[in-house]
Amino acid sequence: MAREIMGLARAKEIYQDRGARARELKAEGKQIMGYICIYPPLEMMTALDLVPYRIYGDMREPITKADAVFITVTCPFIRSYLDLGLKGRYDLLDGLVGAHVCDCGEKVPHVWRSQINTPYYHFIDVPHTVHEAGQRFFKGKLEYFKTTLEAFAGKELSAEKLKTAIESHNQQRALVRELHDLRKPDPPLISGTETLRVIKALTSIPVEEGNELLREVIAEVKERKNGPQKKSARLLVWGSVIDDTALIDMIEDAGANVVMDDTCVGTRAYWEDVRLTDDPLDGLTYHYLVDIKCPRTFREAVYGETKKDHMADLESRFSYLRDYARAWSANGVILQVVKYCDTHGYEVPGLKDYFDSLGLPNTYLEHDYTEGALAPLRTRVQAFLEVIG
Amino acid sequence: MATEKKKAINRLQSIYPLRAIIDERYKRSFEATKTGEPTAWSMVNWWLPEAILNVMGVETMYPENYGPVCAATGAAEAYLNRSDAEGFPSHLCGYARNTLGYSARMMKDLEGEIPPEAPMGGMPKPTLLLSSGIMCDARYKWFQALGRYMDVPVWVLELPHPGVEEEATEGVHEHNIKFMVEGLREFVAFLERLVGKKMDWDKLYEAQRDIEEICRVWHETNELRKASPCPMHSRDFWTGMTGALFPSGNLKELLELYRQAYDEVKYRVDNKVSAIVEEKYRIVFAELPPWHSLGFFDKLAERGWNFVMESWNYHPPIPLDMSGISDPLEHIARFTYQWYAARHPRALQEGEYWGFAYGYLEYAREYKIDGAFLHTLLTCRSASTHLNYVRDVLARATKVPSLVVEGDIVDLRLFDPVDVLNKSEAFEETMEHYREVRKKEGFDW
Repeated sequence: MAREIMGLARAKEIYQDRGARARELKAEGKQIMGYICIYPPLEMMTALDLVPYRIYGDMREPITKADAVFITVTCPFIRSYLDLGLKGRYDLLDGLVGAHVCDCGEKVPHVWRSQINTPYYHFIDVPHTVHEAGQRFFKGKLEYFKTTLEAFAGKELSAEKLKTAIESHNQQRALVRELHDLRKPDPPLISGTETLRVIKALTSIPVEEGNELLREVIAEVKERKNGPQKKSARLLVWGSVIDDTALIDMIEDAGANVVMDDTCVGTRAYWEDVRLTDDPLDGLTYHYLVDIKCPRTFREAVYGETKKDHMADLESRFSYLRDYARAWSANGVILQVVKYCDTHGYEVPGLKDYFDSLGLPNTYLEHDYTEGALAPLRTRVQAFLEVIG
Repeated sequence: MATEKKKAINRLQSIYPLRAIIDERYKRSFEATKTGEPTAWSMVNWWLPEAILNVMGVETMYPENYGPVCAATGAAEAYLNRSDAEGFPSHLCGYARNTLGYSARMMKDLEGEIPPEAPMGGMPKPTLLLSSGIMCDARYKWFQALGRYMDVPVWVLELPHPGVEEEATEGVHEHNIKFMVEGLREFVAFLERLVGKKMDWDKLYEAQRDIEEICRVWHETNELRKASPCPMHSRDFWTGMTGALFPSGNLKELLELYRQAYDEVKYRVDNKVSAIVEEKYRIVFAELPPWHSLGFFDKLAERGWNFVMESWNYHPPIPLDMSGISDPLEHIARFTYQWYAARHPRALQEGEYWGFAYGYLEYAREYKIDGAFLHTLLTCRSASTHLNYVRDVLARATKVPSLVVEGDIVDLRLFDPVDVLNKSEAFEETMEHYREVRKKEGFDW
C-alpha cells in the first residue's frame, strides 16, 4: 500500500514518533533489536531479518528514574536513555545489543540487563586500539555475537545473507553521502535540522525502507524551490551525540547554515563502506573498529612509533575534518560536547589547535543534554557568528 | 606537658616503610632523567607493565599517584586552574587535569624544567607515556592529550571487559587472554626499540613472580581484616596499596615489607587488637578517599567507625594457580585478567550481571559490613558511576545501608567534611536499624 506521506515529511513523521513504525513492524511479526551507539554491526541483525533500532535519549523528558542507578555526573545522554528504558519506553524491543563504546557506555548495558526485561541481550566488547591484534580480538567478539544472535533468531547467519545485508547497508551509506552532498551548494539544499531528522529516521526503520526514504528525500530536495536561505556562516559541527534537532535549530536560527557534521547521528556511521571480504566478518570488523572515527578509539600517526610529532598526530587523527571543511566550504566550526562526555572532552584543546593551524575559526560549547541548557548558548553562538562575519 | 591522647586510629607501624617507597620512586625517576636513563609516566595499569618496565630498567612515575600528592600539599589548585585555562573541560578527571596543568606549566612556561613549587621534587618529562583502556577512558585520552605539551610516544595496553555472561561462554576467556598476550608481546618489542635494549625473559619471569607474591601477601593481609575487631583500618590500606598497585624498584625488598605488614596484622588478629579504639560499626569504603581531608577518618574512628574494606578494584587479584605456565607474558595477562573477572562466575550464579558491582556484595557478607560509605568522586565517572547501583544491590541482597557522599580525589572544594560528619552521625541510626532487619531476616551479622 502506497504511503501518503513521503520524503522529508515522512522523515519528520518518523523522527517525531520513531516507535510508531517499529510497533507496526512488530505487529506484523518482525523482531525489533535495540542497539546502543554505532558499534554493534547492523548488517548482522538485518541479515537475520531483525530490525535494528537505535537507542536514543529524550532531552525534553526529565530524568526521574535513572538517577537512582547512575550518579548525576555521568553522561546525561546515557542517563536519559536508561531512564526511558526504566520507564518502559523501550518495551517494544525484543533484544538489546550493547557495546564497550566508552566508559559509561560499557556499564549501562549491564544495568539494562539487570533491571530491564528485554528478551535477548548481548554485550560486545570493543578494544580501544585498532591495530591487527585489536582487529583479531574484535572479530572474535563478532563471532560470539553471531552465535547468540543465531540462537535468538533460530536460524543460521550464512555468509551469503550477510553479504546481501552488507550491500544494502552500503547502499544506505552511499545514499547518506549523496544526501550530505546536497549541503555543499550555497545555500545548502537541505538544512542541518532536516538532515538530522532523516538520519535519525533511518535508525528507526529497516534498511530497505530507509533507502527508499533517502531516495525520496534526495529527489524532493533537488526539486524543491523553498530550501534553506543563504546565511553568512557555513558551519561544521563536531562532537558528542546530537539526537534532537534543538541544538542545530538554535544554531541555524541564530544565523548560520549547518552544512556538515561529525557526530554519531550524522556522518560517522556512514562515511566509509564496509569492504566486501571473503569472510564478511572481516569487512565488518574493519569497518566498525577502524573506519568509524569516534574519539573513544585510540589512534596515532604510526602504530608503534618511538618518536612523536604532535602536529603529525593531529593531522592523522583530524585531517578528515579538514577535508569536510574544505569540501563543504565551512567557514567556522562548532565543537560541542555533552557534559561528562570524557572521550570528546579530552579532544577539545587538540582539535582547537588543529583548526587554529588551518585558520578555521572555532568555538567550544558544552551542554547538559536538556533543552533549557541550550538557551544561554544562543548568545555564544551569535557572538561566534559575528566573529566569522 | 599535655597528657598524651590515644590516637583514634591505631596505625600499623609496618606500613610506614611502604609509604617511604613513594618518595624513593620520585627520587629515582629524577636521577634517571638527569643521567639520561629512560623513564615512563604510567597510569595505574593493574600490573600489566610493571614487571616489563622494571626489567627493562625504565623508572616509572604514576601521575595518578601524583594527583593525591599535589592535592595533599595544596599544589593541585593551581594546576587545575591551569588545565581550565588551557581549554580542558572542568568536568574531566581531577587527576588528569592536575597532570595537564602541571605539564602545561613545566613544558610551556619553564621549557621542560620541573616547576619549583612541584611537591616531592616533581615529575620530570618522561621518555614514554604508558596508558591503558582499563575501566576508564581518561587513561588513554588524557595521555593522548599530553601530546600538546610533550612529543613523547604513547602506548596503550588493553584489558578485555567481558560481561559476566560472556565470561562464562566457552572460548571467550582464552580468546581474551590471547589478545592480552599479543598486546604485551608487541609492547615488549616496542620498548626494546625505544630503549635500545633486549628483554631478559628469565628476569621478567622472576620479576613477575615477585609481583604475584607481593600481591598474594597483600591479599592475605586484607583477608585477615575479616576478623572482629578489624585489625587494620582503610587508612593503612591506602598507605600500603601504592606499593602493591605500582610495584617498582627492588621487588624483593618490597615483598619483605609486605610480609612484615602481614605479620603485624596477624599479630593483631591473634591478640584481638583493633584498628580503632572501640569498633562499633564495620564499614566498607568506596571509592578513593578525599586525599586532602583524610583527618576526618579520625573523627569517625572516635565514633567507633572502623573502615574494614575498600573497593575491590584497588585490591590485588584473588590468588590464581599459574604453576604450569612458563611464559611471563601469559602470567601477566592471566594475573590482571583474574583481577578483573575472577568474580564473574559467582556473580552470574547469583543473577548479578554487573560484575563491577558484585564485589561489594561479597565483601558485605565476608567482612560482616554494617554500612557502606560510598564516596562519589565528582570528576571521576569511572570510579563513581556504579555507586548508586551498589547502594541498591547492597540494600536488596544484604540489607546493608549506604551513605552516599559527594567529594573528589583532588579538588578539595567539592568535599565538605563538616557536612559529612553530620550525615555520618545520623547514619548510625540507619545502621542500627538494619542490624535489626538483618537479624530478623536470618543474616549472620
